[in-house]
Amino acid sequence: MFDLHGYGASILDGASLTVAVALVSLVIAMALGLMTALAKLSGVRPAVITATIYTTIIRGVPDLVLMLLIFFGGQILVNDIAPMLGYEDYVDINPFIAGTITIGFIFGAYMGETFRGAILAVPVGLLEAGAAYGMSRRQVLIRILIPQMMRHALPGFGNNWLVLMKTTALVSVIGLEDMVRKAGLAAGATRDPFPFYLSVAFLFLAFTTVSVLALRWAENHYSAGVRRV
Amino acid sequence: MPEPATARAAEHHALVCEDIHKSFGTLEVLKGVSLSAKKGDVIAMLGSSGSGKSTFLRCINLLETPNSGQVYVGDELIRMETNKRGEPAPSDRAQVERLRTRLAMVFQSFNLWSHMTVLQNVIEAPVHVLKRPKREAIEQAEALLEKVGIHARKNDYPAHLSGGQQQRVAIARALAMDPDVMLFDEPTSALDPELVNEVLRVMKDLAEEGRTMIVVTHEMGFAREVSSETIFLHEGRIEEAGPPQEVFEHPKSERFQQFLAGNLK
Repeated sequence: MFDLHGYGASILDGASLTVAVALVSLVIAMALGLMTALAKLSGVRPAVITATIYTTIIRGVPDLVLMLLIFFGGQILVNDIAPMLGYEDYVDINPFIAGTITIGFIFGAYMGETFRGAILAVPVGLLEAGAAYGMSRRQVLIRILIPQMMRHALPGFGNNWLVLMKTTALVSVIGLEDMVRKAGLAAGATRDPFPFYLSVAFLFLAFTTVSVLALRWAENHYSAGVRRV
Repeated sequence: MPEPATARAAEHHALVCEDIHKSFGTLEVLKGVSLSAKKGDVIAMLGSSGSGKSTFLRCINLLETPNSGQVYVGDELIRMETNKRGEPAPSDRAQVERLRTRLAMVFQSFNLWSHMTVLQNVIEAPVHVLKRPKREAIEQAEALLEKVGIHARKNDYPAHLSGGQQQRVAIARALAMDPDVMLFDEPTSALDPELVNEVLRVMKDLAEEGRTMIVVTHEMGFAREVSSETIFLHEGRIEEAGPPQEVFEHPKSERFQQFLAGNLK
């Protein structure tokens, strides 16, 4: 019953692409998330408004729709702009770039909310102490705010990461050969879909299990210095 | 006896604040407060809550931006300007950051960085702000922790220490900057009564070493015995100031008399 008809290697290939998409998207999402959180907390009106519009749109539109919008919309935009810059040929957007940017963009909004809450949980006095000892704003951010907020951010961050990991399945719709698409191709060729999708399910489960263990370690690490009652 | 003004002005001052005003919205918290500290002075600032004494202290290192007035650290004026929104702001952030390293602050709620051990707290600013070699900073930190009697706990996190111990670590953190002036913001107000003395003892030692200290406090005994000048603030103004023998024995202001009567133990 469980026969991969020789497509096992191909699916593993797709699995490594899935991990790559997830990790690159995560980096984009974290950077955007931190910027969004800081923008919302800055009190500077244009920054607050921009960040609020961003999170409102992202959280209100389905991920799949956003993915298609950014992929096709981006395609049109690039091909409108390219001739102005002297490119004559039709430009194809690299689906890896489109996919990671879209997922990063979506999860940046969620990370932003997680980070905002975590920043608010850091006692202001600790940041003031940094300033009072001559630290620049950048040093206060890197040496105090980020390590302090990590502990508060990790539970929400972990949740976002698991959802992000699973959302990578969407990149198959824009033609990226991740493991979901590889499984789909194999299923079509062999007319035996079940074993392929079952393997994909197990691979996702394996990735998320490893993530959960890593997150547990990180939560312990960043809780150093907190009294355990 | 206070020295004549001309003699005072001629001497080198560690810190001078002139006519500091500060408002929060429509509430004017400081209505022109001045202070000058010579090297080795210990100035105790008393006042009931809401008198503006903590706000004044926070204006010295610009944790609060004064609406007007001048602050000189040594003979260097902190340059201020009016920003685009019409609010007062420092002209040069780098200058403020540099001068803050010479004004170490000790906070009421300690504000130790809870993700760092005791030792890491003490070496943090010397290494990352003053750019001292790490080994040198550790050596100095160990000596300071020894001095405040907390060396045995150097690898513990602040949350595992008592309030008095945390405040002594905070004092070591301040001393590690080799500051010209130490600013104490109600350093014993958050402590259980039995822990107050261990902190006051350390502060008294510092005073005897000749450290320049501005101490906002409710500890009358400390002001009376340790300070070289006691200032009483009331509703944003200096109501009484002078050597402690004088102000405690012969308070001129009625408000200070009431304050003293209310604080007798």
